[in-house]
Amino acid sequence: MNKMSAADIEETLIQEVAVILAVDSSTISSSDPLHTLGIDSFSFVELLVFIEKTFNLKLIESGLTKEDFQTIHLLALYISRMS
Amino acid sequence: MKRYLTGIDWIIHAINHINKKKTGAGNMFQIVLQMEGALDETILRECLNKFVKKFPVLNGRSMRDYNLAPYWKIYSKEKMLPPNVRTYRLDDNAAFSKVLSTLEQGINKSFNSVREHLAFHLIYAGKTSFLAVVFDHCLFDARGAEVFLNMLQQEQKNETDYSNRISLAESAHLCKWKEKFEAGKWVNRKLLQLSENKSRFLPLHSVSEKKFRFKIISLDERQTSAIIDTAYNEAGYLMFMPYTLAISIQVLHSIFTKRDICTGDYIVPVSIDTRPVEKVAQEVFFNHMSFFLIRVKANEADSFPVLLQSIKQQIYDQIKSNLPADIEKASLLMRIVPLPILGYLMRLPLKGQIASFCFSYTGEAAYNSPMFMEKKINNIFHMPRVPIPPGLGIFFSRFQGKLNVTFSYLDGMLENEEIDSVVHTLQSRLGTHPDPLLGREGTFAPSLSREGGRGMS
Repeated sequence: MNKMSAADIEETLIQEVAVILAVDSSTISSSDPLHTLGIDSFSFVELLVFIEKTFNLKLIESGLTKEDFQTIHLLALYISRMS
Repeated sequence: MKRYLTGIDWIIHAINHINKKKTGAGNMFQIVLQMEGALDETILRECLNKFVKKFPVLNGRSMRDYNLAPYWKIYSKEKMLPPNVRTYRLDDNAAFSKVLSTLEQGINKSFNSVREHLAFHLIYAGKTSFLAVVFDHCLFDARGAEVFLNMLQQEQKNETDYSNRISLAESAHLCKWKEKFEAGKWVNRKLLQLSENKSRFLPLHSVSEKKFRFKIISLDERQTSAIIDTAYNEAGYLMFMPYTLAISIQVLHSIFTKRDICTGDYIVPVSIDTRPVEKVAQEVFFNHMSFFLIRVKANEADSFPVLLQSIKQQIYDQIKSNLPADIEKASLLMRIVPLPILGYLMRLPLKGQIASFCFSYTGEAAYNSPMFMEKKINNIFHMPRVPIPPGLGIFFSRFQGKLNVTFSYLDGMLENEEIDSVVHTLQSRLGTHPDPLLGREGTFAPSLSREGGRGMS
């Protein structure tokens, strides 16, 4: 897979969060903390699995800090750095 | 009118059948609203009588269609039975233990007929009233029942009819057989894997009582916020559910160990809500859930970080392999099986047992108003009867940022000192004072917690 830009990764994550939460992607802001979007433990792990399958990154085992997960934007930056 | 039952609905029916056979009362669930002041009984009865008439589904019963798919027969509105509301008046200074024992009477009382699935118990205790909503799990899951109460509150306040937004549509699911059998293959493999080692259970043979007993631990907002922070640091972002499951396993691990039940693994089914956030208000009736099947080795249960890591990894692997979705699909195949046989089949993989104990974390309550019929709600907590076996469960829920823990057990299963030990250890692990049970002076304030949304039920 060609290396995606952080913006592309962010858009991909927004689309996936919209699928997981069954909402319109336009309602999802990349700067909102994930928990305020309605993400819970179950949907969060669904997102981690999607990230592993799409970006080949096993985040559950990586040295992520809390801040990396705070928003879709920060998560996209982390994935961009790691992939 | 009919509504086809899903495979998960049919499994809940089988559990209901087992519980009825063992205790005389089915797989019932009770949601308790603790309110400031005396809830007006007349207003409650009037509102309920008006409200329930809009939902003939409440008085339905399960039947089998000509195509052999089980369905819920919905009778006409004219044949609706009025809701059963029972009132109890306790002393003004009644202790919470007295309230709890009255609540236990309600949840242990079977419904009067096969078409009754909902009952209300109103308890007055001084300046506090408790409204216990007892429901048949075949009709609602916990989240659905909370949404139902929410609609009742909204209609009472706004006089807007919310009943027309409810969806009762469900196909007979008599297609895509290959997909269902494929899912069944994976679920079967998982069950075989779970049954490879011996599993740990508390014996039920000595139980002569047929009632469920409960302990409720209620945290205030500050305590809840503190434990969520701790979970955040120890388990990671949005990992509160695995954290509470790890605590629950360790708490019961000490009971098993003291009883010298020292061989085998812990098997814990964890129910999860499969409704997307947007659908919660529409999919009110019946069961919208699936399960993780968590297996923990005793040496993992000894170390909290190891236990936590094991649970997180299993949840991750099961979502990755689509196990919850496969369980939903595979269970559709089981609908052909009559309930007594299904109950037997469910206990086959673990040689007569189903689980070491039951667990759920339902997240923030779907009931989202601070008031109920003009009365301020101080708390909402859950009191579920647990499938037998195992007859034992720990359940976490939250209302307005306050965490509640319910310990549910079949009377006679545990010694008094074991029950005290579970309660004290839970309190200690959750950072609460070892005071007796529920904080009755709790006040409403906006949630400060991090994890919201549909939670896991």
